[in-house]
Amino acid sequence: MGCIREETMSKGVLLFAFNNDKVDYYAMAIATAKRANKFLNLPVTVVTDSSTAVANYDYEFDNVIVVDADRTNLNAKNEVWINKGRYQAYTLSPYDETLLLDTDYLINSDTLLKPFELYDDFMCHNRTSFLMIPDHYQEMISEQSYPTMWATVIYFKKTPKTKMIFECMEMVQQNYRHYTTLYNMTVGNFRNDFALTIALRIVCGQTEDPNHYIPWNLVHVGKNTHIYRDSDTMYTVIYDNWQRGKIRKEYSIVTDTDFHLLNKENFMELI
Amino acid sequence: MDTKQLIIEAKARFNHNAAKAYIKDKYESKLTVADQGGLWVANPEMISFLSSSTILEIVIIDTYSNPVKVNRAALLTKLEKTYHYVMEQWQNEWAALEKKR
Repeated sequence: MGCIREETMSKGVLLFAFNNDKVDYYAMAIATAKRANKFLNLPVTVVTDSSTAVANYDYEFDNVIVVDADRTNLNAKNEVWINKGRYQAYTLSPYDETLLLDTDYLINSDTLLKPFELYDDFMCHNRTSFLMIPDHYQEMISEQSYPTMWATVIYFKKTPKTKMIFECMEMVQQNYRHYTTLYNMTVGNFRNDFALTIALRIVCGQTEDPNHYIPWNLVHVGKNTHIYRDSDTMYTVIYDNWQRGKIRKEYSIVTDTDFHLLNKENFMELI
Repeated sequence: MDTKQLIIEAKARFNHNAAKAYIKDKYESKLTVADQGGLWVANPEMISFLSSSTILEIVIIDTYSNPVKVNRAALLTKLEKTYHYVMEQWQNEWAALEKKR
């Protein structure tokens, strides 16, 4: 708390989008950008690499920042997963106040404008909920360690403390093997969520600072859950509930709710 | 195929517990209000507390556990307005979802 809000501060959304052989992250970034323009009325800057075919898309970002992609990370399916370098958000963002979003975050409301009112210089989600799975557990970075902080939605203002958080994320990325051992993490591939969790704890002196938490849950759409669009902000969610070896189909309807769609194919169907 | 047809063909059942949890999440987030340098939840407890006092400026612990000196009446007005608006929407959406089978 304690940061002074200046109305003249520039505000915008920052996305990182690097295509690989399987997923067109740039197309996802465009879809997210259009919805950020529509629901948040904010300009959007994309960070991408030269091999991502930026010329073939019909959307004009506020800024397109080209960087060298770090292709050293693999996902669970052993595919190239270009998620490293998120720490550069601090230096690359052209805005005084930035909303850093994953490209697979589907905006359906103006909820994300709230962090701009909250006076704090850095905020992320520390709690999640899963559509259709009300009792889903909160993820930890390891069994006997800390709850995961989520890099899916980060709000930050350019302050010395925020700079330290991003610099610390860079340090964690560069020494990720050391930190996986230190925190007894089972996941070998680099995750920004884990880097953020560790960095935030280091900068906060290994204490929890609730000022850094967005005061509502990050909504995930997880495994066995499929989203169908009914209207611009209304969706039917169908969930395959496995019970005694059989699938029971269950559904619900969500409206005007932002969510993080883990299934990239499903996201592409919706855009 | 539209989703209504899909639901019929898949013999999908409406999950009321999931719907209830989802709208609780959705509307609780809308009850959060930033005002006068603090973060507040527009809930009956806070509204009752602010209503029960007659002091012009009062120090209250906000959601982030920070003591914040506020203009009591102004905060009360804002929280009451937010509470009634959000609860009305919550009830409307729940009423619509409750009829689903």
